Amino acid sequence: MSEGAGTPEPITRLIEAFHKLPGIGPKSAQRLAYHVLRTPPQEAEALAAALRDVKARIRFCSVCLNITESDPCSYCQDARRDASTICVVEQALDILAIERIGFRGRYHVLHGVLNPIEGVGPEELHLKELLQRLGNEEVKEVIMATNPSLEGEATAMYVHRLVAPLGVRVSRLARGLPSGADLEFTDDLTLSRALEGRQDF
Amino acid sequence: MGERPRVYKTEGIILRRRNLGEADSIFTVYSDREGKFDAVARGVRKARSHMRGHLEPLTRTRMMIARGRSIDVFTQAETVTSYRAIREDLERAAGAVYCAELADRFTAEHAPQDGLYALLIDTFDALEAGAPLHTVRFFEVSLVALAGYELQLDACALCGARLPEADTLLSATAGGLVCGPCRAGAGGGRVVSIRAVKVLRHAGRAGIDSFAALDLGEALARELQAALGDVIRHLLEREPSAGRFVDDVSRLPVGATLP
Ligand SMILES: [Zn+2]
Ligand SMILES: [Zn+2]
Repeated sequence: MSEGAGTPEPITRLIEAFHKLPGIGPKSAQRLAYHVLRTPPQEAEALAAALRDVKARIRFCSVCLNITESDPCSYCQDARRDASTICVVEQALDILAIERIGFRGRYHVLHGVLNPIEGVGPEELHLKELLQRLGNEEVKEVIMATNPSLEGEATAMYVHRLVAPLGVRVSRLARGLPSGADLEFTDDLTLSRALEGRQDF
Repeated sequence: MGERPRVYKTEGIILRRRNLGEADSIFTVYSDREGKFDAVARGVRKARSHMRGHLEPLTRTRMMIARGRSIDVFTQAETVTSYRAIREDLERAAGAVYCAELADRFTAEHAPQDGLYALLIDTFDALEAGAPLHTVRFFEVSLVALAGYELQLDACALCGARLPEADTLLSATAGGLVCGPCRAGAGGGRVVSIRAVKVLRHAGRAGIDSFAALDLGEALARELQAALGDVIRHLLEREPSAGRFVDDVSRLPVGATLP
């Protein structure tokens, strides 16, 4: 469905703006735009204000690149956290998952993974900042918490090769079966790694 | 032409993955029977997806595809080979990703290229079995030939004259080696050593195992990489993205691998 010539310009503009968001196709963009049109003015205002504030007030932590309102971010400021361990994640959202399981070290957000075909190289990741931290801070271990995908693993190996000469221990999350997985449908790679990582009862 | 079946089975190498929406991904596959195609895997980014691990880039996978109106859809996927040794070694992974990108860029959708699937499998199998990285040069020479740009290495690509057993100009524009008198009209190029010329000829005649077994040494391997890089760049009219990654990786300090 495309917008007819009769569609008022502000609506077309809003549809286009929604369409640019990840995962939003033309139909969803249209549905969202007409939804906004029907909502009370104060709700639409609140949405607009939230959009403005997120750009105006949220920034990257100058230490770990987490997204934050205060710089350094709360994790970097918290003296009770173990500063000798840095958990490296692909995106800021991953921090929430690692926090949930009780990790209490520091973080470093790469804001991406190496993706050679799509043209994302080491220059595009925040690796320089990580190396700087390893030079300045008393870091004993870097935990690579990238996804067990081709890209995530390439990133982990790349960081390891960069960091190893500095004498810092580099580890990565164990790889194996996700809970709820079905052996019948599990790929050989995951299964063989799960077998290697087996543990006694 | 008869009606194409609504569901088809094929086997292929996963070349690329792009995310779509919240839980789907689009995969570019190079397959034996269909050539290159894109298909979407619904819900593949959810932890419990049955297809997730079977569609990782660089995996050789048997798959069932349903033709859709705008894009085909995976209905089943099962790993044939996950190429674990490749993906657990940064240099090998970079080399294989580079081959995958070339396979993608040198082909059109649904137009199977005779011999290309076998070439991909042979190259990945060799790298998986520990063949040296210069095996990627065999892939380049063979791919270029399959795509109809076979390098002229036995005589001057411009005048057909016999070539001396000496360092010779390799011109991507001319499509091969160029003799001294023709040099001015060759549109640039790179002078390659007679040893490099012999290795290139060998790649055109020998099998992959025989080529992989060559002991090139670092300088010759680098010379060949640069020379074929020129040819690929000329034919694609761009630098392959993964080529830059191969370079990035080659600049890393050499060290132990991750546990
Ligand atoms: Zn921080
Ligand atoms: Zn000539």
